[in-house]
Amino acid sequence: MLVELGHFALVLALAFACLQAVLPTIGLFRGNLALAQLSRPMLWAQFFWTLIAFAVLMNAFVVDDFSVKYVAGNSNTELPDMFKMSAVWGAHEGSLLLWALILSGWSVAVSIFSKRLPNEVLNHILIILGLISIGFLLFLLLTSNPFERLDIIPTQGRELNPLLQDFGLIIHPPMLYMGYVGMAIPFAFVLSSLIRGQLDSTWLRWSRPWTLVAWAFLTFGIVLGSWWAYYELGWGGWWFWDPVENASFMPWLVATALVHSLSVSEKRGAFKHWTVLLAIAGFSLSLLGTFLVRSGILTSVHSFAADPARGAFILVFLILVVGGSLALYAWRASLMRSQNSFHWLSKESGLLINNILLVAAMLSVFLGTLYPLLLDSLGLGKISVGAPYFDAVFVPIMIPAVLAMVIAPFLRWKKDTLTRVLGLLKPIWLAVAVLFVLSLFMVENVSVSLAVFLFIWIVLHSLSLLVNRIRQKGATSLAFIGMILAHMGIAIFLLGATVTTQLGIEKDIKMEIDQPITIKGYEFVFKGVDSFSEQNYQGHKGRIEAYYEGDLIANLQPEKRQYVTGMPMTEAAIDPSLYRDLYVALGESLGEGAWSLRIYYKPLIRWIWLGGLFISLGALLAAFDRRYRLSAQRVSAQSRIES
Amino acid sequence: MTMIIWIGLMLVGSLAWVIWFLKYPLADNGVDLQQSNIDLGRQRKLELQADLDQGLIDQEQFDQALEEISSTLALELGQTQAKAFKQSNITLWSGLVIVLLPIFATGVYQNLSNYTPASKATTPDLAPLSLEQSAAKLKQHLSDNPKDAEAWKMLGLSYFELGKIKESLDAYEQAYQLNSQDPRLLVEYASAMISANDDQFVGRPVKLIKQALELDPQAPDALYLAGMFAVSVQDFELAKALWNKALNALPEQSVDRQALVSILQELSRVESGNISNTVTVNVVISDEILASRSAEDFLMIYVKAAEGRPMPIAIQKLPIKAFTGQVVLSDMNSVMSEKLLSQHDQALVVVRVSTTGSAMKQADDLQVVSEVVSIADNPSVTLKLN
Repeated sequence: MLVELGHFALVLALAFACLQAVLPTIGLFRGNLALAQLSRPMLWAQFFWTLIAFAVLMNAFVVDDFSVKYVAGNSNTELPDMFKMSAVWGAHEGSLLLWALILSGWSVAVSIFSKRLPNEVLNHILIILGLISIGFLLFLLLTSNPFERLDIIPTQGRELNPLLQDFGLIIHPPMLYMGYVGMAIPFAFVLSSLIRGQLDSTWLRWSRPWTLVAWAFLTFGIVLGSWWAYYELGWGGWWFWDPVENASFMPWLVATALVHSLSVSEKRGAFKHWTVLLAIAGFSLSLLGTFLVRSGILTSVHSFAADPARGAFILVFLILVVGGSLALYAWRASLMRSQNSFHWLSKESGLLINNILLVAAMLSVFLGTLYPLLLDSLGLGKISVGAPYFDAVFVPIMIPAVLAMVIAPFLRWKKDTLTRVLGLLKPIWLAVAVLFVLSLFMVENVSVSLAVFLFIWIVLHSLSLLVNRIRQKGATSLAFIGMILAHMGIAIFLLGATVTTQLGIEKDIKMEIDQPITIKGYEFVFKGVDSFSEQNYQGHKGRIEAYYEGDLIANLQPEKRQYVTGMPMTEAAIDPSLYRDLYVALGESLGEGAWSLRIYYKPLIRWIWLGGLFISLGALLAAFDRRYRLSAQRVSAQSRIES
Repeated sequence: MTMIIWIGLMLVGSLAWVIWFLKYPLADNGVDLQQSNIDLGRQRKLELQADLDQGLIDQEQFDQALEEISSTLALELGQTQAKAFKQSNITLWSGLVIVLLPIFATGVYQNLSNYTPASKATTPDLAPLSLEQSAAKLKQHLSDNPKDAEAWKMLGLSYFELGKIKESLDAYEQAYQLNSQDPRLLVEYASAMISANDDQFVGRPVKLIKQALELDPQAPDALYLAGMFAVSVQDFELAKALWNKALNALPEQSVDRQALVSILQELSRVESGNISNTVTVNVVISDEILASRSAEDFLMIYVKAAEGRPMPIAIQKLPIKAFTGQVVLSDMNSVMSEKLLSQHDQALVVVRVSTTGSAMKQADDLQVVSEVVSIADNPSVTLKLN
């Protein structure tokens, strides 16, 4: 019965989403205050019932209720409790329910933490969010019901994919969805402004912190996914240009451009076209990513055609959202004209270059991801687009973006002079040149040299900017520190990614007991393999000792597991550090105590995720800048007093 | 009855929530849009003044920027329209909500729910048994009721799920002796035999399938298995006919429809020669190797990515005695449906002689690996085991 009540709760959530969208719209149209003010209470009720539905589904997993089809297909009695709970979002229906819950959660956050927004603006925003919620709740109820019952109840469920029985599953999807879904907030801000016909300073000011927080979560979610793939898949990779990965990377690129475009719009009232279109694009790409992942089209175009209900629904929803928002944009385009011009040498032009390059990079990823699907669906054959394409196209676009990234903050708004700019930058360029030349004596690889150059370029420019700011203003803001951190994050990421890719070592070897092998000064000694069993799997665990300069530095224990349902899995053993990882994966038994092993030496690999964390942290700091934390009354009083 | 009470409570609570906020709407936060824009304009002016005072901009730039702030503010104030709100007739709206919300919620739920009281009755209050426990219970039951054909059939299925093929076949044989006229039993028994025989459709399983179809010509599972047999003898027309018949026999909501549709589409692709990528593997095994290996050994022929994941992309496993010298790997042999053979670029071809037929290389397996090949070229590779 509880499951049916959970299903009914989801229906009530849909009902409240409809009330959230419809009643305030009528109220605003007819000047009815009581109806107009209903947006927040209806939203809170929608969140409550969605939360109830989610809790009921989670309970069904915990108590092994295999009468629920979704539970039977993704859990079994042998699964540890922790993974039973995270199995809720391990497959399609549950992850969509999580999507809906996070969307309503974000909406509640906007309703509570927007005290500086006039109610009429907030009500419009919540109406838009309500419409989006209706779309997802309908999708859940009509095509992806997580509460569907089985007529014949199995005595045991199917197992959660062993790849997903990991801490990474507990945290990666929720964080990624926080970012994905968070892109709905700037989208709602933009659409509400277009509908009201008021693209003013208020919405520009208050949409930026929400965009920064969403971008921070998206960054964190992507970083987590990369880290999880690295240690879970067992062969040492961290990014595969997989369509599913690209589906999260594209909105990230657009969101990056959006946070920069918002700074121009907020400060100078310019770039409104860019800001509006980027906000629409960001959320549209989130929806597109959902379509790609959830419709089955990535599995096979044919499987999508065989069961098109889900894919067709999302496609129609996507067309409505994109088409409707672009139509609104076209209708209100005249309101976005800016009288504020700028010189070719100005901060605005620097950020314009940034926007153009980021969008170009996004389009290159978009093309590489969707083109094979398009060809396949038209019956024009199959092509494979992988790392060679993306490395050849994406990287050359991003290099100038990275170079320009740290120049733009030195430029003045509206107009600057070459003399002043060069005066500021020449000492930095000299220092960069000196350090780079010195580095060439230590680095032979061309790609690594380029990465080192970019690292030095970014770090020196950023530090110089920080020092200049403190000298000029005596203090600095969280927003400024956030910017420096985020840019440094890019530098750290770039260096880590390039060094680990170019200078990493991988060896597939046969090892016998007490046989040593040396890689980059690290000696690995194989000590044998033991059998063991756990709650829902059995396996073999290797013992490898790692030495450096004669000292034992790590005992590595890679595993090979066989789950009760027959699925095999490899768990790599990793000795992590900030400057290198030692990574060992167990292969096969070769008889007489010998085993095949894969050993990796991965220099600076953790800098990849450290860089991502820096970017996330920078975004969060910027979102909590003082200007966003002042109450409306204080801003008003302060500005009156000081003027 | 209890469920109706709970649903009633949920509806009453929801209605009360809506009507409360209709009667007592949330207060406006008092932030006026025009004033907000004015305050933000002032704040910008203060920041501009600070930049001038610190020498970050000159007077000319200050004046220009100030003028822009003022003109932007004027534009924004011109766009802002004050909204006048009036008293609302909450009785009307409350009435509408009281009527429409329950109708909407219960109507949607009725149409979407597949809940029936029967489902409730079969839901056990106790925790479900594991497969081993189920099998043990069945055995205990059969010791007292050895002529329960249905129980023998369930025991056969339980053992099959547990991987105990011999015990499964014994149980199915017992069920067959008691009731050879049950089409489902015949299909399950045939499936178990085929699995035990390395997916070979030879001998008794084929007779059982035929017998099942004679008993029930519309049985989808028998038709499916018959179609698989037809594919194994390369009779694709027959396979298509059988699977289409199964498709027609399945209810609209059946999840098996999707699987059948996918198989039929794959078959169409294979027939039309529309496989865009294949890897032809010719294997030469020396006489010495053949003499030293058992006739029951397996030949594993697979393709793996040249770089990256070591897992097979596409694989065929054959008894060595049945090997004819050549195997063609295509998307149909792909291990993971989301990573088809044709979606890969550079690959390695691996041929392995294995005693166990296990996917993981064992100590006494013999293996040879090719040079890197390009899948897009539909390569033909010759490998020698000697």
